[in-house]
Order: sequence, then structure tokens, then C-alpha cells
Amino acid sequence: MEKQLTFWKKLQNPFLRIAGAAALGIGLAGICLNSLFCWLTDLHFQGLLHIGPAPTDAFGVIFAEHLIIWLIPAFLFYLWGRLLSRSKIRIIDVWGTTAFAQLPLLGIGIFGFFPAVQHIIHIQPSDLTPEWFSQSATISGLLLLLISLLFLIWTLIWMFKALKISCNLKSTRLGIAYTLSVILGDIVAVYLIHLLYT
Amino acid sequence: MNMPKLPVQCPGCNAPLKVSKLYCEQCDTEVCGSFLLPPLSRLSEKEQNFVIDFIKAGGSLKEMAKTLNLSYPTVRNLLDDLIEKLA
Repeated sequence: MEKQLTFWKKLQNPFLRIAGAAALGIGLAGICLNSLFCWLTDLHFQGLLHIGPAPTDAFGVIFAEHLIIWLIPAFLFYLWGRLLSRSKIRIIDVWGTTAFAQLPLLGIGIFGFFPAVQHIIHIQPSDLTPEWFSQSATISGLLLLLISLLFLIWTLIWMFKALKISCNLKSTRLGIAYTLSVILGDIVAVYLIHLLYT
Repeated sequence: MNMPKLPVQCPGCNAPLKVSKLYCEQCDTEVCGSFLLPPLSRLSEKEQNFVIDFIKAGGSLKEMAKTLNLSYPTVRNLLDDLIEKLA
């Protein structure tokens, strides 16, 4: 058994080394920090795969958004794990690894501080003119938002690993459980987050 | 001199090997037949080391996770895969 995992392997799949309460603690700290970043930058996670502005800037709402995009997939992962896995899965591992998988989203929170991204976030419908699109701040902002999508992809990869390790699912079962959890999770998260705005 | 490792798979087609001959060094007795390898011998070296580590840890997955510097579900998954293989 290899006791020392390479840095690359750890980055690809941190859950080989960390799970349970430790992952949950770090993940929750990340969720709190990212809520603070998003509150300061007025950036909202409107679903598992949706980012943008919202009609409120209350910290409680922003924190609830982060809890929703963590707990909904975590709940679905646990459900699939109970249905499909032959292992005795622990809910603390599912919660912990899924919370830890949200850490790359901190990158999006940090990108929100860039003035060019702020320029995009605070767009008004009346701003949508050909001149606005040709502004350097608009182009930089759109580029930064595109780059920040890498953090979302990174989170999605870690969520896949979280499901694989915490529920011991493989091949077809893993693929089906993950795809359905992400699609269904996004729909439910979007619905619940929009309820927060009303 | 190092003893050669016991092969468990056919080097030609990867099929599991059987024992066809046993030999007593003390009295030169030979036993011929077709015998299955014991279940644990059929595991790979890595898997056998895992079983040894598991026994050394007193069957505690938490202890093993600490010793191997792996997460608890990773160790549990390795054990579950072994159980499935031995079943």
C-alpha cells in the first residue's frame, strides 16, 4: 500500500486522504468564507450550476444559497449511496466530502472582487448596448468569468470523487448516480434559492 | 537466497493457477493431484498486505486509516472490494 500520495493525486482526489468530520469542518469553513466573499461582492449562487446577481444582498440569503448547493447534492448522494452501494456508508463521509468539494468555489468568490467582474455583475438591462460590449472592462470581466468556470468544473470533479469514495460506487452505478444528482440537484437548488428571493 | 514469489495467475493467459504437486523436503515424499490455492493466496501481493495490515490493526478500520494515512471510507472501500473478491 502506497503510504505517500503524490501532490497531483491528492489534488485529483483529496478524499483518499480526508473524509468525515475533518472534511466537514474544512468544508464548512470554506462555505462560511465564500458566503462572506459573495456578500462583499454581491455574487450569488442561484443553483448548483448558476451564478449571477440577485434581488437581495442579505447575508442570510447568501449563506442559505451556499448551504443549499451543498446540502441538496449531499442528500441526493446519500440517497443513491443507500440505494446502490453494497458498503455501509456513513452520512458524515457524504456530508464531509461534499462540503470539502465546494472549496474550489472560493476561487469564484475571489474573482468577484475584480472590478471587471463587478462591472458585469452590476449590469442593468439599459446597459446592453453594442458600446457596452466593446468596453475593455466588459471584455475583461467576461474573460474572468469564463476562467472562473474552471473552479466550477473543479468542484464538479471533486463532487464526483466525493460520491465515488463516500458511497463506494463504481462504473455505471457511479455515472448514473452522479449525473442524476447533479441535474436533479441543480433543478431543486434553483427552485429553493428562488423561493429565498420571494 | 530469496524465495521466488508464488505465482497465482498463469503468465500465458492470466487464468488462476492450481497446485498440481507438493513436496516434502524431509522425506522426499511427493503428493500429486489438483488442488485449489487457499483463498488468501489467490489475492495479489498488495491485497495480501492489506489483509496483514488489517489483522495487525486488530480489525479496526479507523486504526488502519491512521496507519496507512488514508481516509476511513477509502480503507472501508478497499476492504469491501476484498470481501466481494473472496465471496
